[in-house]
Amino acid sequence: MRTKKRHYSTYIIMALFGFYMVFPFVSTGLYATSTEWSNSILPRDFTVQWFAELMKDPAFISAVMRSIVLTFTTLAVVLVIMVPTVFIVYMYFPRVDQFMKGLVLMPYAIPGVILATGLLRMYSGSLIPMFAVLVGGLFIGSLPFMYQGVRNSLESIQTKNLMEAADLLGASKFIAFVKIILPNIKLGLLITTLLIFSSFFGEFVLTNLLIGGNYETIRIYMLRRMNENGHLASAVMVAYFILLILISLLITYMTSNKRRKNLRKKGEPLTEMDEAEVLLPPTEDSLTN
Amino acid sequence: MKRIQWNRKILLLIPFFLIAAMFLIIPMVMMVTSSFTSEATGAFTLDNYKEVLTNPFYTQAFMNSGLISIFSSVTGLVLAILVSYAMTNLPDKVQDKLTVYINVAANFAGVPLAFAFIILLGNSGVFRLFLDNLEWPLLNNFDLYSWQGLAITYLYFQIPLGILFIYPSLKKIRKEWKEAAFMLGATNWIYWRKVGLPSIMPSIAGTFVIMFANGMGTYETAYALTGSNVNLVTIRIAALVSGDIYARPIIGSTLAVLFAVIMIVILFVSQMLLKRVRRDLA
Repeated sequence: MRTKKRHYSTYIIMALFGFYMVFPFVSTGLYATSTEWSNSILPRDFTVQWFAELMKDPAFISAVMRSIVLTFTTLAVVLVIMVPTVFIVYMYFPRVDQFMKGLVLMPYAIPGVILATGLLRMYSGSLIPMFAVLVGGLFIGSLPFMYQGVRNSLESIQTKNLMEAADLLGASKFIAFVKIILPNIKLGLLITTLLIFSSFFGEFVLTNLLIGGNYETIRIYMLRRMNENGHLASAVMVAYFILLILISLLITYMTSNKRRKNLRKKGEPLTEMDEAEVLLPPTEDSLTN
Repeated sequence: MKRIQWNRKILLLIPFFLIAAMFLIIPMVMMVTSSFTSEATGAFTLDNYKEVLTNPFYTQAFMNSGLISIFSSVTGLVLAILVSYAMTNLPDKVQDKLTVYINVAANFAGVPLAFAFIILLGNSGVFRLFLDNLEWPLLNNFDLYSWQGLAITYLYFQIPLGILFIYPSLKKIRKEWKEAAFMLGATNWIYWRKVGLPSIMPSIAGTFVIMFANGMGTYETAYALTGSNVNLVTIRIAALVSGDIYARPIIGSTLAVLFAVIMIVILFVSQMLLKRVRRDLA
């Protein structure tokens, strides 16, 4: 009797929560696809005119391109530098590792606005181009997340044992890292990469404060259109989410294809990653809001 | 031989530490030093702090940010506990999927979130017009572009953030504890008061601090929703360092330093307390 009752309340709570979470998404979608929507529960018509208008706006296309350039430049820098760094620190410098663990709380103590203040103090009017400063700032912002993600991946495949085994079999450390560690943490890296990708793609605070008007990314474009035409702005947001999902799928597809091939070649299963472990804790949040 | 190996590993760490120095450490140091320099003469001074701490406009900004953060983290925390508890009653497979979606929701903040709420509850929001049509005065006193609107939008990303921390700790509560408690005659209520809640108390406290800090640091959502209608620390700082007309970067730096110090103290003290509580429990 008691368990049954509890089940009802469970579903009621989950339904209310789900409704609250989905509501803004749905209403934005409906608003984007209607010519006019007021004082009725659902809009009275369906249109794609806002999307057509959007595609004709060269400012939108270039905003998307700028976001893509910024995102992939930063992503490349972050991955190339952070993966070896976390690996080396995790393997050989346990003291630095302890220190880096404290990083996770950094975005809460130094959120985007504060970081931007420091960066502006140092670089505004300097010779270093603001774009490079922005990439550096995003790099710092993604640190806790990247560190946590890569480290969890390394831990879950028991990197230390693997490296020892490779050493015994005569592989150099570099070869072992490239041929054994990297292929094994690929899945964990992918998840981390996707989360960081979405935070870069939707970045607003640093971009707006550091170069704002001179480099209109998709979120800045969004904010500008928001004050002009609600339906069009909704269309921008829907387009933004579709792009986000498409690029995420593309990244997943490209990496998983290679993974399958590797698998077949070696004929051994990959270490299963605990997805939830990589996803938590969500330090990236402070980057985006 | 060993020495050379060690050196090479250090060399590989140089890019990382270079970037950390260039884009985090030195800028922060410069921010701190500039908060101690006079706007007029460039000499060392404490006047900036005196100005910030005595100007009601700035102290009010700290108050406002603090109040909204406390409201959104307390309310968000209660709701997050409720939802996390409900989640543990769902089938395991659904639970795993849900955590991934909730992570996505926790990151749905900023401009799109503010705008979605404007569509619904703004001055000519769909929901508002709909209620007007029915002549229900439900939203008459509600102003989205004020702290009320901020409270509602903050909750939207605070609840999922809370769940991401609370849910795993709820999962750790053993079924055996509950069974044992019931066997000894405890009711559900007594079980939660005496066993359940105390065992997750440290993580509730830790989550509260993180949610509070998250609320304090929020800028994009507030900026997109209210512009500078509501006087918040982050909005004040951003206006001071990047505004064209009212730019006063040194005062902005001073506010930023104060903000960072407050947050670091809060995080540090809470971590220390949590460590002690955990030791007591163990």
